[in-house]
Amino acid sequence: MTVGEMWRRLIFFFRRGQFHRDLEEEMQHHVAMKAQAHLDLQADMSATEGRNTAQREFGNMLLLRERSRDQWGWGVIEALLQDLRYGVRVLRKSPGFTAVAILTLALGIGASTVGFSVFYNLLFNAFAAKNASRLAVPVVLDASSPGDVRPLRCSVSDLGLVRQQNQVFENIVGYVPVGMVLLNDGSQTYQFYDGRVTSDAFEFYGVPALLGRGIAPEDGKPEAPPVFVMSYKTWRDSFNGDLKVLGKSYIVDGDLRTLVGVMPPRFQAYGPLAQIWIPITWARSSPPGETELTLLGRLKPGVSLTTASSNFNVIAKRLAKLHPDDFPKHFTARVESADDLLMGTQAGGAAWFSDMKDLVYDLFVAVMILLLIACSNVANLLLARATVRRKEIAVRSALGATRTRLVRQLLVESSVLAIASCVVGCVFAWFGMKIVATTLPELGRGASYWAYIGGEVSVGLNIPVLAFAILVTLFTTLTCGLAPALHAVRADMQPQLSGSGRGIRAFGHGKLRAGLIIGEVALSIVLLVGAGLMIRTLFLLTRVDLGFNPKNVLLVLFMPSRGHDLGVDRAKATSAEGMATLHEVAERLKTLPDVMDVSVEDTIPGYGPNDGPEVTVPGTGHAEKAGLLACDQSFLRTLELHLTQGTWLSRDEVQTVRHVAVINQKLARDFFGGGNPVGQELDVKRFKGVSISSQDTDFQIVGVVADIKSRPEKPAMPMAFVPVTVRGGFILLLKTRIAPASLVRTVQKQVWAVNRDEIFVFSKPLTDFLHELTYATPEFGVTTFAPLACIALLLVIAGVFSVMAYTVSLQTHEIGIRMALGAQQSNILKMVLARGLKLIVAGIVVGVVVSLGLTRFIASEIWGISATDPWTFAGVSVLLTIVAMAACYIPARRATRVDPMVALKYE
Amino acid sequence: MGKRDGRQKTEIPSGTLYMLILKTLANGSMHGYGVAQRIHQLSDEVLEVEEGSLYPALQRMLIKGWVVAEWRPSENNRRARYYQLTKAGRKQLGMELSEFEKVVAAIHRVIETA
Repeated sequence: MTVGEMWRRLIFFFRRGQFHRDLEEEMQHHVAMKAQAHLDLQADMSATEGRNTAQREFGNMLLLRERSRDQWGWGVIEALLQDLRYGVRVLRKSPGFTAVAILTLALGIGASTVGFSVFYNLLFNAFAAKNASRLAVPVVLDASSPGDVRPLRCSVSDLGLVRQQNQVFENIVGYVPVGMVLLNDGSQTYQFYDGRVTSDAFEFYGVPALLGRGIAPEDGKPEAPPVFVMSYKTWRDSFNGDLKVLGKSYIVDGDLRTLVGVMPPRFQAYGPLAQIWIPITWARSSPPGETELTLLGRLKPGVSLTTASSNFNVIAKRLAKLHPDDFPKHFTARVESADDLLMGTQAGGAAWFSDMKDLVYDLFVAVMILLLIACSNVANLLLARATVRRKEIAVRSALGATRTRLVRQLLVESSVLAIASCVVGCVFAWFGMKIVATTLPELGRGASYWAYIGGEVSVGLNIPVLAFAILVTLFTTLTCGLAPALHAVRADMQPQLSGSGRGIRAFGHGKLRAGLIIGEVALSIVLLVGAGLMIRTLFLLTRVDLGFNPKNVLLVLFMPSRGHDLGVDRAKATSAEGMATLHEVAERLKTLPDVMDVSVEDTIPGYGPNDGPEVTVPGTGHAEKAGLLACDQSFLRTLELHLTQGTWLSRDEVQTVRHVAVINQKLARDFFGGGNPVGQELDVKRFKGVSISSQDTDFQIVGVVADIKSRPEKPAMPMAFVPVTVRGGFILLLKTRIAPASLVRTVQKQVWAVNRDEIFVFSKPLTDFLHELTYATPEFGVTTFAPLACIALLLVIAGVFSVMAYTVSLQTHEIGIRMALGAQQSNILKMVLARGLKLIVAGIVVGVVVSLGLTRFIASEIWGISATDPWTFAGVSVLLTIVAMAACYIPARRATRVDPMVALKYE
Repeated sequence: MGKRDGRQKTEIPSGTLYMLILKTLANGSMHGYGVAQRIHQLSDEVLEVEEGSLYPALQRMLIKGWVVAEWRPSENNRRARYYQLTKAGRKQLGMELSEFEKVVAAIHRVIETA
């Protein structure tokens, strides 16, 4: 094809109308010339006769015009455009149907897009790093406390050893995920979370900086100028997005450093809280108390996690020989993929019962079910319409439309619906995702509260998600549009044309309609049951009596000064001087007017203790593990615990570091049955304390307190409360008169008043902590499943209503006959309702049976009730029956209003 | 399309229609009817150009740029579309003529020697 040809074809396309008119006129002229020729030949022929003969000889002008037109090659597109225009016109003529169909499909598409977005972004797009699917973290599993998973740590100098022995990773970098530093710009001091990274870490991750540059390998050289990099949010919030800060120097953690770059918004590596990143200087020897690095590596292509795990098990055992104190006595090392660690699949079995990864899969399946329900509704609607349009299709067929052309036109119509639904659906999805993003629980929590990874997940309309929405739309077009189209076209045309076809043909796909409704009802039961079980779980969970009152308590965590591990690790409690500062801070805070009580201790209530040393009572021959909680005399009052026997720790006992303990009822029952434990001795094996290092120690029991829970979903474990001065503590609990969150700044000021540069503080209301740690995931499950179930219910109502209404309209003739034969209005009503009830009950039965089999897939989200809880199943069935019967009622009433005379005549 | 009463119709050999139309137009611009008439007359009423082949062929020639069309008033005082051969059209005509002559000569040789 030459350029000229292409150009001419293109011009034809845009000037189609004119071309068609020209062609017609040209052919008319030809006919006229021919007619003239005839008249010239036979003088006795009349003008009309001549014209008619000429016309006849010319042939089918219309067809010839089309054939000539087809030469230009735009035939298919023109036909499609025609179909499109026709389709839009048809849809506009029945606005009710169009609106309902578009809305239904849009709900289905929107919901499934949100579900897919969560699914994809959490499981496949969680990190901004390049080749993120191969990111992996070596972890250590303590054999003595199953479920306890910590990342493998090594010192900076050992990193070289690890790199040497590594055979499975392309490269490994190290970082310290949480720390806090003070940043001074000459006029103001800020407190930021920092992440310390080995200097190749940014290159490893592969995300380019937004401004300036990231940390480069040269920054780690001892003689390199000290630099740091800032996160986007920090730059925006604390520095107002000022471009001039780039290149300025600040005093960071006591050193003068230059800001060399700002990272883009989607970068939160090496510490989910990190606001600035500081390179670690290479050192050939390791000074004492040196930073311990968490490792992050990228697996070589094709290396499996099992291979990597065995390699690192060996490496870890070698490290353990060099630093036995840093490792548990018996352990294995493994390599976990970063994605698994993020979703908490492996980490911290003690953390919570609800598995986020399972939840995400379940959510995806749920939205697919919703989509099926929406499709079934629209298919029903389209089937009904296809029947109604039989006459129109018959006429078009008679006029010469081929089967393919007819099917194509119906498909184009479905496509118009689908495109409109896709657009509306994407709008729904956008809003839905905003809502979901706000309830998304924080991810990546390991056995300790301090997450190791996470923060780059964004649930939004990115390219793969949009592609999914379009694919889903295509799928719904084909399934909902094709079947009715083929069905309508396949039918025998003659009865349609003569008008008597409705009676017989109309019931032709009654079975299909019924099947679709039963399927819809069954699927909605599945969703309702799932949502119901989750709602009940959340309800029960939040009603658990924790044994203490978390309300109006502000939890203030002190972090040991920089360079230390920040896990809730009993072995590394604060030093004696740290404790003294803590007590001074506590005294200061007690004087605040809104603070009623201050307690110093070492565990987040409701989040521990989960494990502890073995304890025995001499003479009982019985030993068990008990959680040890170090606290002070105010603890009882602060958390409103119940003392049942004896007395609580006294101020005196705490200050003199006396070895006394208060035990909980569980421990008391286990060792003493009904007897009085007060005065007895409790022997703690290998107790590690502030001034004691790992030996058997005795405590005298002075009281018994009612059980408090270490985790809401677990039964209380045996516990002993010892004075904080014995073990060391780093948590302050403040009982406040007003909302705890409002005191955060005041507390910070008070703390800095004691020691400006050394003490770092993290404070949050206790209820927020518990929410994040325990309730957030089940809540996320409920806020996603419940709306899905509601939408499913609405769709089912709409579906039942439309099918019943349509069936009734088809049966008008029959109803008329019945009424003429003497049936009362109430009989008709009962008949219609009975038909509806049969369908609904059938659907419910199928749904219940299917749900019984499927609930095991959400078993990890359910607590407190069995996965086949009969109350939930019964409640859902009753709800659906009532609601669906209500949907049948209006069509049934319409049926009773049929005038027999009209019905009998009507055909 | 439309058989004439009784008379046997001679089909235009396939592939030669374009050549005939182009040759006709080489003698001067003409409208569609005129082209058909011309061919019919010049062939001593042996060759009939069917409208069903004529108009698609003319459209194709327009696409290929072998002819251009123009509206002019015609003999019966209506306006008609007159086709005119272009330079490209002349070239095409030359090619088709020589091709045709080659084929005819070859057929001759086969007939006379066989």
